[in-house]
Amino acid sequence: MSRDLAERDDGIKRRDFLRVVGVTGAGATLTGCSTSEVEKLLPYVVADEEITPGVATWYTTVCGGCAAECGMWVRTREGRAVKVEGNPDHPVSEGGLCSRGHATLQHLYHPDRFHGPMIREGEVFRQGTWDEAEQLLAARITRARNPQNTTDGGRVMFIGGHMGPSMSRLVDEFVAALEGTRVDHDAISDAPLLEAARIAYGSNSLPRYDIGAARLLLSFGYDFVESGASPVEHGKGLSRMSAVNDETHTKGTFVFLGPRLSVTGLNADEWVPIRPGSEGAVALGMASAIAGPGGGGPYANLLQAYSPAIAAEAADVGVEAIEELARRFASESPSLALGPGSGAHHRNATAANLAVMILNDVAGNVGTTVHYDTAGAGGAAGASNGYAAIDQATTAMASGDVGVAIVHGTNPAYSLPAASGFREAFEQVPFKVAFASAMDETSALADLILPDRHFLESWGDSAPRPGVMAIQQPVMEAVPMFDSKQAGDALLAVSSRLGNDLGAATFYEYLQTQHRDFAGTTGSDFDEAWRQALRNGVVEFAAPASPTPQLRAPQTALTFNPPVLDGSGDLTLLVHPSARFGGGEFSNSPWLQELPDPVSKITWHSWLEMNPHTGEERGIRTGDIVTVESPHGSLDVPVWLYPGIREDAVALAMGGGHTAMGRYADGSGVNALDLLPAVAEQPSGALVTLATTVTVTNTGTGRRLATIEGSSDQHDRPIAPAVQLALLGEAAEEAEEEHGELMELQGVGGFVPVPAEGGAPGAFPLEGARHGEYADAHEGPRWAMAIDLDKCTGCSACVTACQAENNVPWVGEDQVVMGRDMNWIRIERYYEHVDATQAGDLDVRFLPMLCQHCGNAPCEPVCPVFATYHTPEGVNAQIYNRCVGTRYCANNCPYKVRVFNWYRYTDAVPEPLNWQWNPDVTVRDNGVMEKCSFCMQRIRDAENRAALEEGRPVRDGEVVPACEQSCPAEAIVFGNIRDPNARVTQVVASERTYRVLDELINTQPAVNYLKKVTFHEVVSEAH
Amino acid sequence: MANGVTKDATARGAMTHPDLHRLDDVNRDVLKMMGPPGKGWWALLGLAATGIGVFLVAWLGVQVPVGIGVSGLNGPVGWGVYITTFVFWVGIAHSGTLISAILFLFRAPWRQSIYRAAEAMTVFAVMTAGLFPLIHVGRLWHAYWLVPYPNARFLWPNFKSPLIWDVFAVTTYFTVSATFFFLGCIPDIAAARDRATGLRKKFYQVIALGWQGSDSQWHHFGKAYIFLAALATPLVLSVHSVVSWDFAMSIVPGWHTTIFAPYFVAGAIYSGVAMVITLVVPMRKIFGLEAYLTTKHFDAMAKLCLLTSMIVLYAYLSEFFLAWYSGEEVERTAFWNRLFGNYWWATWIMLVCNGMVPVMLWFKRVRHSIPALFVISIFVNIGMWFERYVIVVTSLHHEYEPFAWGMYRPSVVEMCILLGSFCWFGFWFLLFTRLLPPIAIQELKEVMPPPMRNKASGAHS
Amino acid sequence: MSAGTGILASYEYLDSTVDAITGLRKAGFEVKAYAPYPDHHIEHALGYDQSPVRVWTLVGGLTGTATALAFTVWTSVDWPIVVGGKPIVSIPPYVIIMFELTVLFGALSTIIGLFVLSRLPNLKPSVIYDPEFTAGRYGVYVEADGARLDDARRILNDQEPIELREGQVAHA
Repeated sequence: MSRDLAERDDGIKRRDFLRVVGVTGAGATLTGCSTSEVEKLLPYVVADEEITPGVATWYTTVCGGCAAECGMWVRTREGRAVKVEGNPDHPVSEGGLCSRGHATLQHLYHPDRFHGPMIREGEVFRQGTWDEAEQLLAARITRARNPQNTTDGGRVMFIGGHMGPSMSRLVDEFVAALEGTRVDHDAISDAPLLEAARIAYGSNSLPRYDIGAARLLLSFGYDFVESGASPVEHGKGLSRMSAVNDETHTKGTFVFLGPRLSVTGLNADEWVPIRPGSEGAVALGMASAIAGPGGGGPYANLLQAYSPAIAAEAADVGVEAIEELARRFASESPSLALGPGSGAHHRNATAANLAVMILNDVAGNVGTTVHYDTAGAGGAAGASNGYAAIDQATTAMASGDVGVAIVHGTNPAYSLPAASGFREAFEQVPFKVAFASAMDETSALADLILPDRHFLESWGDSAPRPGVMAIQQPVMEAVPMFDSKQAGDALLAVSSRLGNDLGAATFYEYLQTQHRDFAGTTGSDFDEAWRQALRNGVVEFAAPASPTPQLRAPQTALTFNPPVLDGSGDLTLLVHPSARFGGGEFSNSPWLQELPDPVSKITWHSWLEMNPHTGEERGIRTGDIVTVESPHGSLDVPVWLYPGIREDAVALAMGGGHTAMGRYADGSGVNALDLLPAVAEQPSGALVTLATTVTVTNTGTGRRLATIEGSSDQHDRPIAPAVQLALLGEAAEEAEEEHGELMELQGVGGFVPVPAEGGAPGAFPLEGARHGEYADAHEGPRWAMAIDLDKCTGCSACVTACQAENNVPWVGEDQVVMGRDMNWIRIERYYEHVDATQAGDLDVRFLPMLCQHCGNAPCEPVCPVFATYHTPEGVNAQIYNRCVGTRYCANNCPYKVRVFNWYRYTDAVPEPLNWQWNPDVTVRDNGVMEKCSFCMQRIRDAENRAALEEGRPVRDGEVVPACEQSCPAEAIVFGNIRDPNARVTQVVASERTYRVLDELINTQPAVNYLKKVTFHEVVSEAH
Repeated sequence: MANGVTKDATARGAMTHPDLHRLDDVNRDVLKMMGPPGKGWWALLGLAATGIGVFLVAWLGVQVPVGIGVSGLNGPVGWGVYITTFVFWVGIAHSGTLISAILFLFRAPWRQSIYRAAEAMTVFAVMTAGLFPLIHVGRLWHAYWLVPYPNARFLWPNFKSPLIWDVFAVTTYFTVSATFFFLGCIPDIAAARDRATGLRKKFYQVIALGWQGSDSQWHHFGKAYIFLAALATPLVLSVHSVVSWDFAMSIVPGWHTTIFAPYFVAGAIYSGVAMVITLVVPMRKIFGLEAYLTTKHFDAMAKLCLLTSMIVLYAYLSEFFLAWYSGEEVERTAFWNRLFGNYWWATWIMLVCNGMVPVMLWFKRVRHSIPALFVISIFVNIGMWFERYVIVVTSLHHEYEPFAWGMYRPSVVEMCILLGSFCWFGFWFLLFTRLLPPIAIQELKEVMPPPMRNKASGAHS
Repeated sequence: MSAGTGILASYEYLDSTVDAITGLRKAGFEVKAYAPYPDHHIEHALGYDQSPVRVWTLVGGLTGTATALAFTVWTSVDWPIVVGGKPIVSIPPYVIIMFELTVLFGALSTIIGLFVLSRLPNLKPSVIYDPEFTAGRYGVYVEADGARLDDARRILNDQEPIELREGQVAHA
């Protein structure tokens, strides 16, 4: 269906709707389009003259991507969401947004969404009406609950995933009214952590960490930057605690203890590669070293049992390393220990989590860097049951006492090991219902599919932490071609058909009644408060203060020893959540499929991580396809040799190998769970992912990996240098590389010096450059960027943000294999090796590489048709329409940031996925070159706004490129470097500032980098 | 003065077969070649035509509508087989004008009997080379933007871009070479006209432009020819210099070097002469031109090959040496990668074919063995194509930014177009051998002893 | 000029041709010679000196140089665009364009010069012509009438031509 048609459908309503909202910069006003609620909201009409057609309208809402519930701004154009961004006012995410958050937009417009309720007829589904579907569901529920019914009777079971508090409450009421049972299941569960908190402190919510406040941070294999409870918040925390302070020359230390370096681990200052499963032992060993004899309260005896020596033995690391670490953990307070995360859910995971809590406790971090909410009423964040519950549900279904099973927001048929028998059990249920917006492995088994709405089309709420509440509002009319209904509305409709009144006709009403009392308001005040809540996107109120809790002894005995692993393989299998797909729920997004994995830089397909030495022993090279065999299954997968993993372990990411999820997910990669047993960890009941050993045998075949990585070695080039903390301050005296004055031949005047001196970032045109009319460019702004490599965590959120903002196409696996990925920004990952006496000898440098907008741009003079040239504002402009496609500019670009449209890639974008395209950015044609434009459209937008308001110049911070906006680490700063007060100017003043390759080829880039700061001496320094 | 005539003629170094007594023997032999072609010729022509078919389908049928993505090119390696082949053909185009113009100016005695074929080769080679920039661009339908013409916005091309220099250099070279070629043909076409009958006669009558060999025609012809030669000579040297600057003007390690201009020119002459040998040896056999293409001619060409091969080899070695001597890591990596990196095989093919095989030319016996020369010339052609491949691909695939390094693998389409270009060239050359005198009739007569009535005493006092 | 008789003598030998020409020119005839190749003896006998073609070459070349310089500079200034931080007008690259156009214009004007001077293309070749001239024979052609005609005929016959043709030619 064409976009015109779409506009015709709702043109009138949209006009009303625009009248409702209007533009007040970002975070405008109110709410979703032509749902019947619009009328209720009409009182907040904004005067017509404030409405500017073609200008973006912004809404606040809550990201429904994961349990972190980050605050979101959504940019809509003509009533269509085109871009999502972090809401700076939200206390959790503070303006950051991860790649997955950005990609939720693709699920909104996903061509694989259901076009209406689907009713199974034999093997196939038939599209039906909502009335029909709700009627059918009501009928089946009644029938199932009829005691006389012995054939297909049974209770109602609701299997739910993550949902907001109100929705959760509604489900409870719905189920209760039917005397059914409710089970929650998430692909990635924090159950062991939750259980440990319950045991240790009687808290029934996840501990909250103040990572930014820590001086020494320990992660026991907890991948908090890419997965974990709240990636954006924790990533921000990491960059804040570990980034150097340029005044005091101090920075926090981050130590990673784990068998494999995740993105999180790659940011660590030290890596202690402990044996898989030994986290608990190490934590206890350190705790006992800190607590000393008799210390550790209720756990004193336990700590006696676990001396550092025992821990060292278990972890296969030097005892002095553990003692040293313990000493520092105690002295460098406030310190903080995290983990072990979902990557290390082994048979003693709860104990391991408990051990880390004990460590924090003895080091006195409770109440300072780690908080336990003992006042009950914990947030919804991650409060999901483990595998045990779904296991019982499976048994129930298998035994036939479930008549109707309703699945909502979760996909157990994919995210549970085959051995769990869920699929078979579920199939036995007489009537299976799925609330899903698009097909997935579980919905494929259902008898009735009720198309759920995307969170950007529906109402909801969130309580990410005590004292924080945010309303999730629809930012646009439901995508017209999909006849969807949000689950809440459907549940209410069905229960009224069943004769149960849940107190509201629509979920919107229900939601409001839920919040009648928030901010202590009533009546008309409520409306005001409600509107405020929607406008700000978040409500903060005093949380019930919870006293610093006391450590409690466990009721049941726990074993803290490293777990027993299945099988007799010589390699331990590590299964971890994917940094791109989480547990697999994001796999159908082409953006995420093509996003290079932050660690391996591989796109689309799966890979097995193996240590180079292990590979060498077995004659396995990167790209070889191996058979990974566990007692529970086997997979064929290509190998990627990775020095960041122990020699006795191999790692496989979740999220691949979908079979019924959609065109982009299916057949891409393998499902790591196929190698796992269906074992529930005790007592938390979490699914055990660190469960088995494997044998790896070379199949003799191989493939070219779809990676963007050329060489991970800098080859001693001034690309991503680092500076030792101790040398900061003296760095100024570092001898400049000596080379004679550069000369160039001029038609007039023979050889004259090349304008290279005074190559200050602000200096464009350079002194002595004869640029004729461009001379007045000295007055205008000179756009420049600064990227602090000591903050950058490599999370790659900027990559997806850029792709969303600039209509950068995805090209597909084959094209990436050929080396044709189109991303305008890539996170380069270089290995440097530190003196090998240290345990983990890796020093990893992340470098976001985008167009450097060089003052002396090599790409410009070689273009025969002036398709690329330098604007007076110092931006290296690319004129797509002028490009003939000689590709000379790309050859001559030393940074290799120019990407070419080898085909008309946008032709491959199906309706309505192309509705997401940003109307402010042209879609590029076949055969033209493209590259980062510094988000020129945003620069112009800011300039126009400034001009409209009293014709003032653009203020610093008004122009925010997509990458800077979404960066959780706050590593990117953009602005006019001619303005001495601009943030970018201030940042660039740092002694760590350098420009990539500049001293080598005098390109005078406008992008400035701040060197990473290391504690260890920087060996093999790249100039 | 007495006997001045005869002396003079021999002094001009007549290198022709003793069987030739009378001037019109030349017409007889040469024009015979233009007689009705045999089966073999038609077979070859058909083959070439088929190749052109494949070429056109691959290019206009597949690549243009589908996208340049059908090639193997990618991010780091934006130039590949197309540019390689472009440079290869431009190189081939060189020896024609070289042999013709430079040797003409230097009055090299062995020139007359081969320069016509060489010039024809030049013209057709440029016609082939000229296609490749068009094949290479991403948007063929906008390629004309490289030509300076007043467009709607009066935006002119960027004369700072080496690619624009190329446009001027190659078009100029084509125009001048073609003119030079045609000018030299006119008297011989007239000769053909005076022998031919029927349709052919009509055809030759038109393109002979009414040449009769009158004194004034010869007078101005001679002068014009000298001036054209004088203009063409620096042009020969300039064209490949400009082509080399396509690379040398960039900052790509392995391209950015001052040696490129002379290095490319030498290489061009080298490959060109080799190609002349490759073409002339079969011609000699088929048309029985032993009378005109004596071992002396081949010896001379072989020596030219030897000289240029040494220059080229020197260029290779100095590049490697300077990369090491510069101490610049980027430069060193580039050349180390050339020898031992992923494309080592291409580099070694280049070194063996261009640097080692020609060493055999030091031996007179080799220089005088036509088969040996033919084989060697084939080696040189292959080697010179790979030289360009090495320069283009190995430099690009490992550039400044290690993380963006990549590999390039030519696609089927590229291969079809590469082979098609040889067919395209062959097609024109085959037509040439039948339609135009492949050997310069009148210049051969120049170097023959003129017929004398009073052989004993001088003609006139 | 009025109508006259044209005599064309074909010779097999160079020296006889040269002698015939010299003899005729001594007798004050206007002679036209044919040869299968450019022979400087004949030219000498006809008393040729430098050909004006070179002027054409020179003028053409200089025009090319000037055109290129003017064009490159004008287009740069007409719409100044900064690329690679280079000066708007940077002469060194333009020198290449200048060189190329010098050669191009020079070559073309040389050809034009040649055609103009030697009347090519010649649409109506002279009536009396021996196709053997492009093969092996030399030719001497002279126009005369009345008594002078006999002189010419005698001088030509002295050198034993292979054949002697005569025909009426009219001059406009």
